[in-house]
Parts: sequence; C-alpha cells; structure tokens
Amino acid sequence: MRTRALSAAPAFMLMLITCLAAWPSPAQARPVSYPDGWTVMLRNDSIQNSAHIHYTFDTRHSLGLRLRYDRDGDFVFTGAQLNRLIKRWNKPDSQANIYGRVALGRVSDDHGAGELRLERGADQSLLLGVSADWETRRYFVSGSAEHWDNGGYGEFSSFHGRLGIAPYVANSGALHSWIMFEARHTPESRDKVSGVALLRFFKGPALLEAGVDDRGGPLLNYIHRF
Amino acid sequence: MRYFLIIVLGAFLAFMPAQSAAKDKKMSPAEVVEAADVAVGLNGLVCDFCSIALNKTFKKRPEVLAISVDLESKTLSLVLKAGAKLTNDDIVKLVQRAGYTATKIARKDGPDFMPAPKP
Repeated sequence: MRTRALSAAPAFMLMLITCLAAWPSPAQARPVSYPDGWTVMLRNDSIQNSAHIHYTFDTRHSLGLRLRYDRDGDFVFTGAQLNRLIKRWNKPDSQANIYGRVALGRVSDDHGAGELRLERGADQSLLLGVSADWETRRYFVSGSAEHWDNGGYGEFSSFHGRLGIAPYVANSGALHSWIMFEARHTPESRDKVSGVALLRFFKGPALLEAGVDDRGGPLLNYIHRF
Repeated sequence: MRYFLIIVLGAFLAFMPAQSAAKDKKMSPAEVVEAADVAVGLNGLVCDFCSIALNKTFKKRPEVLAISVDLESKTLSLVLKAGAKLTNDDIVKLVQRAGYTATKIARKDGPDFMPAPKP
C-alpha cells in the first residue's frame, strides 16, 4: 500500500473545518437531519456513483459511511464522513444553512472480473467540503465546493450551484415537485463546465431527482430519511 | 461498485411506498388540528423533511398522543394524552432540537406564550 502525507492546502482546509466544527455555537441547535435519524443519500451522474448512509447523533452532526465510484478516475473511495451544520437561519418564510463535511478513507482500483490493466494499489483519501442553501416553499438556491485529495489517484475539486423553482406549493404529506438547474465546474475533469436540468420529487421521507446533463448523461439521486 | 449502488437505489425505491403507508392512521391531520391542546407557530418550515423532523422529535415524548404539521400556516398542532403536560420550555427546546424556531405557543386551556427571540 502506498501512503503519502497530506499536502498543505487540504491540511489547512481540514484545520479550518475542524475549527468550525468545534466552534461553540448559539443555542439554536439544528440536526443535520434530526437526532437519532438515519439518512440514505444516493447520487448517480456523469461524475460519480455515490452512496452516503449517515446517523445524526446530535442536532448539528451526522456521521456515516461513504462509498464513491469516480467515473473519470475509475476508482472507488470507501470511508467515513462527518457532516456538520455550521449555521442555520430560520425565518418566517425561508430557511438558510451552511454545512461542512470531512471524509477520510481509502481509494482503490475498481477492477472488473477478468479486466487486465495496471494495478494502482490503494491509497489514503481526504474530502473537505462546504455547502450553503437558501430555500422558500417556492424557490431554492444552493452552492457547494469540494476538494478531494486521493493520494496517488490525484487531487480534484468540484463546484456546484443550483437554482430551483416549485411550479406549485404543496402542503405536508403531498407530492412536492421542483424544476431545477445545476451548473458544475470540475477543473481537473475533461468536461470542466457542465449543466444539468432535473426534476425533484419529494414526498414524506423520500426525495427523488432525475435529470440529464448537457452531454446527454443521466442523473438519478435519491434521499430517504428514517 | 456501480451495480451495488444501483441495487441499493432500487431497494430503497421499492421500500418507499411501504414507508409512506406506515403513517399513524389514528387521527387525520384535520382531526389533530381540531383537537389540538397546543398550537405552535414556527419559523424555518419550508419542506416535508421539516415536518418529518418535528414528527419524529415530538412522537418520542410520552405526553404526545398525536401531531400534525401544516406548512401553509407554519403551525405544529399537538394533542396530548389525558392528564399529560408539556411545558412551554419543553416545547421550545423540542422545536429547537428538531431544527426550527418556535415563535408562539397557543394553548387550549391557557394563555399564549411568545418565546424570547434568539440573539
């Protein structure tokens, strides 16, 4: 197994996020989902197939398993991910949030049966990410930035932004529908800038997103809270 | 790995209707609102995940018989078990634990309470 020290920039980001996670916050606590709640998050698009199963252990933190297949690099990340709600604003007609996340684990080749190619071995991996969102029952805006240090598999960053509008406003328990557009910037990828049009359907504990990107690639995301 | 994720997704999609059907059928939302002992005004209520967080948090309390969350009126309605009490302080803390802000607590058998705004 090859290992290597984390480079200076991700180490600084880790320190920053660790400091934010340890920051004494106001009493207005908010869970990432809700205390003792389990959440499954699946994301499948032209960049990745990802599964994140986490448990919210207090009002601001969740911890879970993250599995991620990187389509560009053809490797798999397996590790633990900690999420923190850094700040939430509850307003009469809106809500806004800032989240931070850190994942640590290992990356390895995703060899199919009988596939012949060079072994790259396994290496350590670190994810640092931050995201923010603002939503009303009609409008949705979000943005996120991630940096992955995958050791010998390379480093990469991604930046996502989303706009959404609900064609109708639904009440509790009804089917909620959203029309959304996502813009992505992935500086280290072949396609540095891309866009996705998607529909979000939301009912009770389940959220499903289906879309297509500007190169015809599909997007299928699913979130379930227990 | 790709096939594993697709199988996991399929399993949860198949599981989804069972979860939706597993709601408490003892009282409808309208019946809960009608019979509510306590109505709580809320800030930050924008989606169904908010309703679920409040439902899960309050249903853990033995004092609570039934709960309903209305996104239109931004109100949480609680029916308490006979003889049970939830103090205003308890309610404010439970709302905060779920991730939201209580703006007003109205009781069937008592005066309204306006929680102090957070600094």
